[in-house]
Amino acid sequence: MIPRSQLTFPLFFITALCLLSGCTQSADDAFYQSGVIYCSESNPVYFNPQLDTSSTTTDATSHQLYDRLLDFEPDSGRIVPSLASSWMISDDGLTYTFQLRKDVSFHSTSYFTPTRNFNADDIIFSINRWRLPSHPYHPVSGGRYPYFESLGLADNIASVERINGYRVEITLRQRDSSFLANLATDFSVILSKEYADQLLKQGIPARLDQFPIGTGPFRFVGHRKDHYIRYHRHPDYWQNKHSAEQLIFDITPRSSLRLAKLITGECDATAFPAQTELNVIRNRENLMLAEKPGLNIGFWAFNTQRPPFDNPDVRRALAFAIDKNTLLEAVYFGSATRAKTLLPAASWAYQDDADDTAYNPVLARKLLDDAGIEPGFSMTIWAMPVERAYNPNATKMAELIQRYLADVGIRATIVSYDWSTFRRHLRDGLHDSVLIGWSADNGDPDNFYRPLLSCSAIPSGTNRAMWCNEDYEQLINQALQTDEIEKRRAIYRQANRLLYEKLPLVPIAHAYRYQAYREVLSGMAINPYGGVRFSGVKKAQ
Amino acid sequence: MARFSLYDEEFHPSPWQQTWQEFRASHIALVGLFVLLMFIIFSVFAPWLVPYDPLEQNVDGLLIPPSWQLNGTVSHLFGTDALGRDLFSRIIYGCRVTLGSSFILVILAMLVGVSIGAIAGIMSGVRSSILNHLLDALMAIPTLLIAIIIVAILGTGLVNSMWAITLALIPQFIHHTRTFVRNEMKKEYVLASRLDGASNFQLFFNSILPNMIELLVVQGTLALSIAVLDVSALGFLNLGAQPPLPELGAILADGLDVAYIAPWNVALPGLTIFLMVLSINVVGDGLRSALRKRVSH
Amino acid sequence: MIRILVRYSVLFVLTLLVLTALSFVLAYLFPGDVLVNLSGITPENEVQRDALVRQYRLDQSYLIQFWHYLQQLMNGNWGYSFTSGLPLREEVGLALPATIEISTYAMLMALFIGLPVGYYAGIRSYSLSDRTINSVSLISYSVPVFWLALVLILFFSLELGVAPLSGRISLMFDIPSVTGFILIDILLSEHIDHGLALRDALHHLLLPTLAIGTITTAAMIRITRRSVIDVLQKPYIAAARARGLSRPQIFVRHVMRNASLPILPLMAIQITTLITNAMIVETLFSWPGIGNWLIQAIYQRDYPALRIGMLAVSTLVISLTILVDMFNRMLDPGRERFERGAI
Repeated sequence: MIPRSQLTFPLFFITALCLLSGCTQSADDAFYQSGVIYCSESNPVYFNPQLDTSSTTTDATSHQLYDRLLDFEPDSGRIVPSLASSWMISDDGLTYTFQLRKDVSFHSTSYFTPTRNFNADDIIFSINRWRLPSHPYHPVSGGRYPYFESLGLADNIASVERINGYRVEITLRQRDSSFLANLATDFSVILSKEYADQLLKQGIPARLDQFPIGTGPFRFVGHRKDHYIRYHRHPDYWQNKHSAEQLIFDITPRSSLRLAKLITGECDATAFPAQTELNVIRNRENLMLAEKPGLNIGFWAFNTQRPPFDNPDVRRALAFAIDKNTLLEAVYFGSATRAKTLLPAASWAYQDDADDTAYNPVLARKLLDDAGIEPGFSMTIWAMPVERAYNPNATKMAELIQRYLADVGIRATIVSYDWSTFRRHLRDGLHDSVLIGWSADNGDPDNFYRPLLSCSAIPSGTNRAMWCNEDYEQLINQALQTDEIEKRRAIYRQANRLLYEKLPLVPIAHAYRYQAYREVLSGMAINPYGGVRFSGVKKAQ
Repeated sequence: MARFSLYDEEFHPSPWQQTWQEFRASHIALVGLFVLLMFIIFSVFAPWLVPYDPLEQNVDGLLIPPSWQLNGTVSHLFGTDALGRDLFSRIIYGCRVTLGSSFILVILAMLVGVSIGAIAGIMSGVRSSILNHLLDALMAIPTLLIAIIIVAILGTGLVNSMWAITLALIPQFIHHTRTFVRNEMKKEYVLASRLDGASNFQLFFNSILPNMIELLVVQGTLALSIAVLDVSALGFLNLGAQPPLPELGAILADGLDVAYIAPWNVALPGLTIFLMVLSINVVGDGLRSALRKRVSH
Repeated sequence: MIRILVRYSVLFVLTLLVLTALSFVLAYLFPGDVLVNLSGITPENEVQRDALVRQYRLDQSYLIQFWHYLQQLMNGNWGYSFTSGLPLREEVGLALPATIEISTYAMLMALFIGLPVGYYAGIRSYSLSDRTINSVSLISYSVPVFWLALVLILFFSLELGVAPLSGRISLMFDIPSVTGFILIDILLSEHIDHGLALRDALHHLLLPTLAIGTITTAAMIRITRRSVIDVLQKPYIAAARARGLSRPQIFVRHVMRNASLPILPLMAIQITTLITNAMIVETLFSWPGIGNWLIQAIYQRDYPALRIGMLAVSTLVISLTILVDMFNRMLDPGRERFERGAI
């Protein structure tokens, strides 16, 4: 005989597990409602967006930890006051004077307690850090400021002067019609000079970018790589919006897992829902999907410094070998429009009748033959490992392109690394071609043309084509000398023509931007200009 | 045995025949064998069995549901994936890649393991003892860890992950061979051939190896099921086979991105791996109990 | 007894030495700069580089380098992660306990379910219930663990909504890591609602434990069943039966003890499988364990992390295996060491 108890034991065990883990779901709701959890896709590289243009970094930092001098109004894109309460521009368009807000306090955390409020010194420190190579903080954390470098902004600023504690004057060397917009982007954040000085004295300046102090709606509590970032509400936030007590970024690289967490309620909002999942979100009653046409572009860039991709004919051949419409359908599932130029239709400089490449494998093969590329030539396609609005599934797109290239006798290998490694290798120019893209930080067309293809954007790592062309440089510089929209539009038309001839990159798509969140969140809105904002977002009681 | 002793003199089943008879007696084992044979046929004849090229993308037919669902079509039995590739063809090819590579690496591990094990078994002494102890301890290192290290050194790829699994499988063959050889060496028939002047080499190949085949088959099936699980796990973690190579684990990982709208892309490859491993295990189990029964009779 | 202890200690130290040597060699085998692979610090200039080279004795012979490496490991200076810049000791210290924790629970599940069921099946061998148990265990044993985890997520989290699918505890709780074991850490932490936190953590434990535990339990059932059947066929059982002992008496006095002995070493092999499975499942449940950490490290090509991670995991697995083996040897000195059998 077998003792009965042996049979009942497993049952007992399961019941016990159930009881302990609360198969009866009566959680302390108030506690779970005090914080907002956002499922993000990757780790920020630094907690300072000056140092990195990836939207992972800006999402996690810009609007959570920091403020800028100016802001974009999310709906109209108009520039509105933020830390600067007002500003004046001199008649020659070279001198900008900013009046600063008073009573703005920095975060008080376990590692820093501010003794003074925000003032002009913080502005000067924040700008000079990226502007002046001689600044003690300039070389800290790698010393690269990709956004500002790619715009050549540092060279154009002649001086940043303190008029008094709450008034700053910035003088430019040349007119720059996009200057104010640049100050309102995610990257132009204001750091605390007092904190920086303190760290410098202690000999650990690099902590400035890992343990951040800002004036934003949340203060930094902790970050565990690949797991989470934890923020608490900044109790003395000057805008005094009623944000959640805690803001947590749950780092979840797989988009399917992010959606799963959104469904189970482990996340309240998620980054980059995959295009294939949009209908799942729409069909669920307790999930919300916000969508807006995005200011972005997904493209296929060739490393123009590597033969044979230095030959425009080879690039043209490759562009003719792929069918963009198919890519749009298969990768974006109709949530994007075909890109002809760098600019999306939402931009005022959009050119509707621009030239575009068409699918023509026969012509492609002929061009390749003419350029001396034998069938069986092999190349790499780098597919970025993260989802972006402008390219929700680069690997899939790469696989599609791989097939198209096979049709014209080119063997393509797909290369992918972890996101930060990927970008490091890209900056070093190890790729033949890459599928990547760009989300605009402001509505100005210069924000597409300059960071993506100007010479100064090569070392800063946003010019993925590693392309440098004098005619192009001249055109885009010329466009900034004037405020007249028609003149600028004509210049950008010329630039489009030049780009079509040289094809350093193949524009593929302008995608819609999506944000998925649970119904219980109030105050969520898509910010078309750059990163996500959680100021004022709360869970409903 | 249930046979009439009357016929015993006329029919002497060889050990293999005996084993087969015992094996046949178990219906489950037979079904397992049948399924396994099916998988082997799939693997060997994949190019002739599949209706489509497993890499061929078809943008007009993305994510078609399997044929038994309401809006599925018969032309795509298992439906299509996010690139419009025919899932049935991919899974058949996946069997070929996963089962085939597992087969190759088990044979490889067996060859290396048996050789080393035989040498260690025939030799004895302090030297082999220390080596054995170390080897035994090191064989506890998980395959996943070895795979990660090999990927770090050589890069990702099916072949590199196969090396890792082979390395991880070798010790158990060494171990079993060594134990077996050491036990056999004490037996009289070995002593007899030794007295006949057989060298160690001859001793192993002529006397011990024929007796070891059964053990190797059983160990081989065990290793094969582990190998299939490991190959697909590494493919799933993107440390093994790289897309677009149709490896079952990699197909499953691919399907994960569309798990909500096309769950068959996750369910079917997973089910295939499961059935494959199950059939191998059932056959291995059947073989073991058949052998056990034969010996006990 | 002492002889065994000494032998195993020597074996243990030797194996650790071999592992350390392996991890040292890895720094040379991995792509990239040996200095960076060893230290995890990318020197910013030549001066710093020279200083690091001297610090790691890279200008001296390999033997001295290794000796120095050994000393550094002993002193707890394991180098820095290439991607996060944090000390590796700290990172491993956070990740390893999470894996140990989940594996322990899975092992407990295997012991509490697998052992009794295995005994039952063994005693009722070749009956209908035994065949059922045997088939179910063979089926569970054949399921790819990553697929099982996905199915569990799909069913319990997404369909039924009874269990969360990621992490060890809701991120709303900020539990400082003291021991690395979440349940203990909850009890140690202050300013939180302990009941709520414990319930939340157990809730999170449910699915990963089930995913890993199922396979180990299946293995445990099969091992136990086999062992019991083997014992039942022994002459001394027939003798006991002939003496008129009742079945429970035979079971308690003879079967249970004799069948338990071979289970232990066979479970030792399962440790490897268990930890491998735990490492795979961690990636699906975002469990902050060593498997998740290592796989992130390989995606990010964080060579210093891989070097230390490999050392940490293999040391853990091998220590456990050797410990179990030694324990077994002490209980049953007549047995061939590391007996391995079919499951």
